[in-house]
Amino acid sequence: MDVLKELFVEPFRVFFNDFMGYLPQLTSALCIFIIGALVSLFIAKQLPRLLAFTKLDVLAQRLDIPTLLYRGGIRDPFSKFISGVIGWIVFIMFTLIAVKALRLTPMEILIERFVLYLPQVFTAILIMLLGYLMANFLRRTVLITAVNAGIKSAGLIGQFVKYGIFFFALTVAMEQLGIGKDTVIITYTITFGGIVLALALAFGLGGQDQAKTYLKQRLSGEKDGIEHL
Amino acid sequence: MLDKEVVAQIEQIREADILIGIPSFNNSKTIGHVVRAVRAGLAKYFPDMKSVLLNSDGGSTDGTMDVVKNSADENLHTILLTQHLPAFFKITTPYPGIPGKGSAFRTIFEAAERLNVKASCVVDSDLRSITPEWIELLLKPVLNSGFDYVAPLYQRHKFDGTITNGIIYPMTRALYGQKIRQPIGGEFGFSGNLAKYYLSKDVWGTDVARFGIDIWMTTTAIANHFKVCQVYLGAKIHDAKDPGTDLSAMLSQVVGSCFELMEEYHDRWSPVQHTIDIPTFGFHYAVGLEPVPVNVDRLIEKFQLGVKDLKDIWALFLPEDIIATLIKRQYDSNHPFSISDEIWARIIYSFAAAYHKKIIHKEHILKSLTPLYLGRTASFILDVWSSGADEVENKIEQLCNAFENEKNFLREIWS
Repeated sequence: MDVLKELFVEPFRVFFNDFMGYLPQLTSALCIFIIGALVSLFIAKQLPRLLAFTKLDVLAQRLDIPTLLYRGGIRDPFSKFISGVIGWIVFIMFTLIAVKALRLTPMEILIERFVLYLPQVFTAILIMLLGYLMANFLRRTVLITAVNAGIKSAGLIGQFVKYGIFFFALTVAMEQLGIGKDTVIITYTITFGGIVLALALAFGLGGQDQAKTYLKQRLSGEKDGIEHL
Repeated sequence: MLDKEVVAQIEQIREADILIGIPSFNNSKTIGHVVRAVRAGLAKYFPDMKSVLLNSDGGSTDGTMDVVKNSADENLHTILLTQHLPAFFKITTPYPGIPGKGSAFRTIFEAAERLNVKASCVVDSDLRSITPEWIELLLKPVLNSGFDYVAPLYQRHKFDGTITNGIIYPMTRALYGQKIRQPIGGEFGFSGNLAKYYLSKDVWGTDVARFGIDIWMTTTAIANHFKVCQVYLGAKIHDAKDPGTDLSAMLSQVVGSCFELMEEYHDRWSPVQHTIDIPTFGFHYAVGLEPVPVNVDRLIEKFQLGVKDLKDIWALFLPEDIIATLIKRQYDSNHPFSISDEIWARIIYSFAAAYHKKIIHKEHILKSLTPLYLGRTASFILDVWSSGADEVENKIEQLCNAFENEKNFLREIWS
């Protein structure tokens, strides 16, 4: 009987004791997870209403963020989108805390690494977002200025400025993440330098006459006699 | 804000009845004539009044201030047929603050306040057609009839004053209900009280300090119920503006100031339904005007370039049907180039509403108006190419009616 007990009952007893010993951690992890899920759900649902008072969507519209979201397949207003993102961040944070509460050593190491890498990811995302906003703002500024100056390739110049700034932001973001650090910088430098050189040559050799006419008009102040005011 | 030397000069003068302000920047060729006309006007029409001339200069490098300082009373006895020339004080000073006409005016307002003057007027330093009678006309309504603000009324070439004729006059009239024909004319008369009121406003870091000053002065006077009139001054002929002057910046400063005032005075303009004539003084007479060279093809080219490259930006705040019409006008060779009054009124109102709602950066909204303005200017020039002065005035009247009829559209899109 003792043999049988030792062979069959003891493992169950040990497992039960271990399980009972582990149960507080499991319960605590489960509670943290459920609370996290509820809090994130609450944030995702209620935050848009709060943000509506702050006129965040108007500000986003001015910064052309809805276009960025639309291109990424997101049709929601910016306030709803940002509430969703905050909701997800809260949910992930609670999940990480819940997993940590389980005290599983390999998982703890993984989480630690992940958490240490997070600031770089956030910085990279921020750089990309600012780069996108800056690129769009400057594209518009350059485009409108070029059109008002009567430059026929205004659209092209605007696009060049936009993508130049965007790729610069991408390079900095990649450097921040440590992905192909040197390769990205070298590629960007060669590409950007090449484009500038190509444009300089094209303008200098192919557009001499246009440059001459343009400068002549600007310097001589050749214009209509209309008094606009 | 005033220079210490100027304050000392003003303290010596103590009080004055009249102040004439002349803002300037590199106008040495014409300012001498303006100063002589002012001097003659004061001597002829206000001999018993204590008068001060203040030249507020923007840092001229061509000796403008020296011309003012050294301009003597030469030939004045023969011009006025009198031996008696009343006392006359002259102050020249560089103005502080943002470089621009508005900053120059601020210095003039401050001097008017310190001197406690009864009436003031400002005249441009590049005028070639100014006569001594302008001084009488700009000051007398203030001194004798209790008006606070005197706007000018000129005869101008039909192609001149296109921002005035195409945007500012129709809009000011439709918004505030008063028919001030030259709201941004450049020459104005105003009372000491109004000068004090202008100074009480904190606008000197905005476009008002630049080209926005004229529309700001006019609108502030109307919207705050100051007594307003206009005087007929004859022809306005002046030196060509500096070729380096950027049209887009000028348009943006004037229109931007107008839009800012719409924010401030929404309660005033929104209920206005009808327009009224304002008291007009002066003897109307026909004058010969200098021809204005104009290249319509180039204006249309710039409009077409704008439609090609800026239509996506305009689509953020212009109605779809207007965008479609503009695209159609871009290369419509079957019909003469034209942008109708109704469409133009809606375009301007849509820009005003977009500015109010801050749909995109304000500077982008304002600067992107330039190609449309050039298109509309081309359309107007083609329309009045062979018209006489009266017919041109009728066309402008029709445009004003369009702005008034479309005001409900503005009310709808404003909120």
